[in-house]
Amino acid sequence: MSLIAFLGAIEIGLLFGLVALGVFLSFRVLNFPDLTVDGSLPLGAAVAATLIVSGWNPLASTLIAMFAGGLAGMVTALLNIRLKILHLLASILTMIGLYTVNLRIMGKPNQPLLGEVTIFTPFEGLGLPYYWINPLIFVVIIVVAKLAVDAFLTSEVGLAMRATGVNPRMARAQGIRTGIMIVGGMALSNALVALAGALFAQLQGGADISMGVGVIVIGLAAVIVGEAVMSTRTIFLATLACIVGSIIYRLVIAVALNADFIGLQAQDLKLITAVLVVLAMALPTVRKRFLRGGGARAS
Amino acid sequence: MIQIDDVYVTFNPGTVIETRALRGLALSIPKGQFVTMIGSNGSGKSTLLNVLAGEVPVDSGRICVGDEDVTGRPASERAGLVSRVFQDPMAGTCEALTIEENLALAQQRGHRRRLKRAIGDDLREKFRERLASLGLGLEMRLQDRMGLLSGGQRQAVSLVMATLQPMKILLLDEHTAALDPKTASFVMGLTDRFVEEDNLTALLVTHSMRQALDHGMRTIMLHEGQVVLDVADGKREGLDVADFLQMFENVRGDELADDSLLLG
Repeated sequence: MSLIAFLGAIEIGLLFGLVALGVFLSFRVLNFPDLTVDGSLPLGAAVAATLIVSGWNPLASTLIAMFAGGLAGMVTALLNIRLKILHLLASILTMIGLYTVNLRIMGKPNQPLLGEVTIFTPFEGLGLPYYWINPLIFVVIIVVAKLAVDAFLTSEVGLAMRATGVNPRMARAQGIRTGIMIVGGMALSNALVALAGALFAQLQGGADISMGVGVIVIGLAAVIVGEAVMSTRTIFLATLACIVGSIIYRLVIAVALNADFIGLQAQDLKLITAVLVVLAMALPTVRKRFLRGGGARAS
Repeated sequence: MIQIDDVYVTFNPGTVIETRALRGLALSIPKGQFVTMIGSNGSGKSTLLNVLAGEVPVDSGRICVGDEDVTGRPASERAGLVSRVFQDPMAGTCEALTIEENLALAQQRGHRRRLKRAIGDDLREKFRERLASLGLGLEMRLQDRMGLLSGGQRQAVSLVMATLQPMKILLLDEHTAALDPKTASFVMGLTDRFVEEDNLTALLVTHSMRQALDHGMRTIMLHEGQVVLDVADGKREGLDVADFLQMFENVRGDELADDSLLLG
């Protein structure tokens, strides 16, 4: 693998670390399996790209994109809490609805950003080659996002949100309004994912309606790979694991696609991802069975 | 002061599994009284506790806690008035969170939660002090996950959690039922101590008549969704399980069918 390919993998790994943090908030903290992200990532991209080509400031466009993602998360949460629709199904409904919303926002299936001023433009004149600058920018963004999520989850509200996810009955007995916690957490989660989408569009030179396909699996892969390779005992470690997992996932993919002798091609990406998630999820079970000595003894 | 007036609760009304859990139940608990409550399965004990906590809405009737009518309020909005220790040690705490995080959650019961850091040095000191009073050495384990503690330890921490903030009534939902006898008596001892020290108003649900008569100041018995026996203070002293059963038979003209009340 070349240096550029390696740094490219790191760069995308860092960017999707935002998605992993979002998925961590919904899946792990709130215990809410949320597929909205497949729609909120392109939503963030579509909103940011459309605003930028209409002459908006790229930073403001990115923030509005986050806000839009937050709204999408709230819709899913409210479908679940108010209308009692199963969480998984509620998120799928929002995701499907967002497909149309995204097409409507862009007015077409994609919105190029060629030659537009993006939030990366001011850094181009610093003298470093682009394949170094972008990963560095993403390091800063992901570190800020990670520390913000850490601070939030160890705050009084954040603690209430974590209790809502693991023991809602106890949370209510402590005076926590669990419905509000779920709405807030889902908004935060999808805002992070929409931020990733907005940045991805500006990095790639455009938003595309199909860029959200399988985002949930990529985010989940990052979370699970992170949990498989390191301790997640504290919040600091757990969010760090999301980012580490995201980078490892990208490197594995990059290696798999770059190793010509394996014969894998770009179109194999989704299947590799699915297999990787299955392997990472099976790991704890397999490990347990192995430690018990192949099930020879009755447990 | 807790006032429950003519409360009715029916589960699954109009279906074959219709259950009339509470049927015009009335109960008044003065401030500072420790009441123990017994009753066989299906007598309405748990429903009454859930009604007080706000987990189960009433069909009719009125519930006042302190000076406030809380009848229509959900559990989360009653938390400032009502605190609770659950039967299942898993239910009252978050096993994925640390001991200090669990305590910090309880520390904010009935208060607005802000974006402020949940646990600071002051709070940690307070938690250490409260845990030290249990004599279990848990003050050294603030950052251990709750899931690492035994059932008895978790119930002891639950008691501390329930009493960190003032409340109008403490609900104890068979909170020693899942423990072995030795641990159960340790947790009951703690309960008596906490209730006495802070002069708490408390309602203890138990399956054991012995426990009901040995603790608190007043014992009530629920049967078919109503209070059928209510003995307090002088009248309760020296009463043993057989006497209590006799009283029940006199009131109902009926023998108590549930043996489980006699055990333990």
